[in-house]
Amino acid sequence: MIRFENVTKVYDPNARPALDSVSLEIDRGEFTFLVGASGSGKSTFLRLILKEDRATSGSVYVAGQNVANISSWRVPKLRRGIGVVFQDFRLLPQKNVFANVAFAMQVIGKSRGIIRETVPEVLKTVGLEGKERRMPHELSGGEQQRVAIARAVVNRPGILLADEPTGNLDPITSMGIMGVLDKINQNGTTVVMATHDDDIVNEMRKRVVELKNGVVVRDEAKALYTSMIPVVGESRRLKDASEAELDRAQGVQQ
Amino acid sequence: MRLAFILGEIGSGLRRNLSMVVSVVLVTFVSLTFVGAAGMLQLQINQMKGYWYDKVQVAIFLCNDSSTATGCASGAVTKEQQDNLAKMLDSPAVKPYISDYQFESQADAFKHFKEQFSNSPIVDSVTQDQLPSSFRINMKNPEKYQIISETFSSQPGVETVSDQRQVLERIFEWMNGASVAAMVVAAVMIFCAVLLITTTIRLSAFSRRRETGIMRLVGASKTVIQLPFILEGVIAAVVGALLASGTLWLVAQFWLNGDLSRQFLNTPFISSTQVLVIAPVLIALGGGLAGISSLLTLRRYLKV
Repeated sequence: MIRFENVTKVYDPNARPALDSVSLEIDRGEFTFLVGASGSGKSTFLRLILKEDRATSGSVYVAGQNVANISSWRVPKLRRGIGVVFQDFRLLPQKNVFANVAFAMQVIGKSRGIIRETVPEVLKTVGLEGKERRMPHELSGGEQQRVAIARAVVNRPGILLADEPTGNLDPITSMGIMGVLDKINQNGTTVVMATHDDDIVNEMRKRVVELKNGVVVRDEAKALYTSMIPVVGESRRLKDASEAELDRAQGVQQ
Repeated sequence: MRLAFILGEIGSGLRRNLSMVVSVVLVTFVSLTFVGAAGMLQLQINQMKGYWYDKVQVAIFLCNDSSTATGCASGAVTKEQQDNLAKMLDSPAVKPYISDYQFESQADAFKHFKEQFSNSPIVDSVTQDQLPSSFRINMKNPEKYQIISETFSSQPGVETVSDQRQVLERIFEWMNGASVAAMVVAAVMIFCAVLLITTTIRLSAFSRRRETGIMRLVGASKTVIQLPFILEGVIAAVVGALLASGTLWLVAQFWLNGDLSRQFLNTPFISSTQVLVIAPVLIALGGGLAGISSLLTLRRYLKV
């Protein structure tokens, strides 16, 4: 469904690349976590799938199509096949729940009848039945994110990209959101989720791709947030680093 | 559905940006009024040319008792001199240039004078013998006035040769100058209008960046995203153009064909229906400029 072939993305020629020769394949219907520290290249990875940016070198294939060969006027068609969810929900504050979800269908020219039929269905999938008329500010964070997910999947995209969807939510609400994403994944949608949330990753036991400084350092099925494979010298390195940090802090105090 | 959606977007855009939209309407209104005024002046010039050029004549004024010109040293024109001039007008040297001529006696001149100044007290103080008799010549080609002037101005009994066209030319020159001035003002104002439309569209795009961002992500086409903004600018400019057209129509209807035509009875003024010919030009100009400037602005400030 998504394939990266030696993809490198350079924003600033003087700095290290945001992605450095990444090769990766995500199959149809898979649920993949993308983990790694801030600046490790997770967001760049998602942007390249959406053709928000173009790869400096290498090829990105989405649904069998090299995105570099998609002309600018056909990019909307690519994006109709991809739903996106963000940490900050990005709902329209002056529209109610129904209108927010319907907006995604209106702008691609769906008929009123289809919208009336589809939107309540999708709201039911994300667990928001009966809240069609609420305004975004009347909803909790978790509910707002559910609206955002409903909007992302209302046009039945083959791929759902989630960029830290639980970043603003408490652990219990987060688990609820994960339930929704899992349900969508069960219906056949490929889900790629960038996250920092170790509890969630450990709970879900899905494929984990770890990025570090733009390089894939781990790609494990049914994995945990941190590697189960011990890295030689890693614990020693961490210990040294924290001791050095402590020494520095003490030095400042003196 | 998509049309209804786009119309809704335009409506909300116009409402949210109301003060800017009003300023765009006013600036295009003023600038297009100037463009239209320049156009009206040109129409008026053409109208007057068409009307007067058929009627203007070259006049050879003959001496009367009170003439002071050098050719009139021997007093009023004699019958002999007059016949001589008539013969010259029929001679092969001059005849090819003129289509016809009439003799206007002092009595005829007095009659015309009385008609023309019927409202003025000057009529009472002028007597018949103060007015000159004249030959009124219709030229085949009014440009060849020089030939008549050279041939006749030094003849005995001729006071002066005058070309009515020259008087008109001066009026037309003045009107042309005024229309050029109006065009210059219009150009400056149009420049302002374009800058203002650019700013307005930029603000509008900025205030709706949330919506456009989502539209982009869910795969709305470029047209659906950009059209509301472009139409917003175009609608504001077209409203300005309609106001300008309406103003020009009012000017033609109630000033040119009202007050002014009562004061200048012999001047053919353009009718208010002729002004309506200018209106589509103004609307196309306003709409076109707004469309192009919005499109260029969006290309820079609205990523699609």
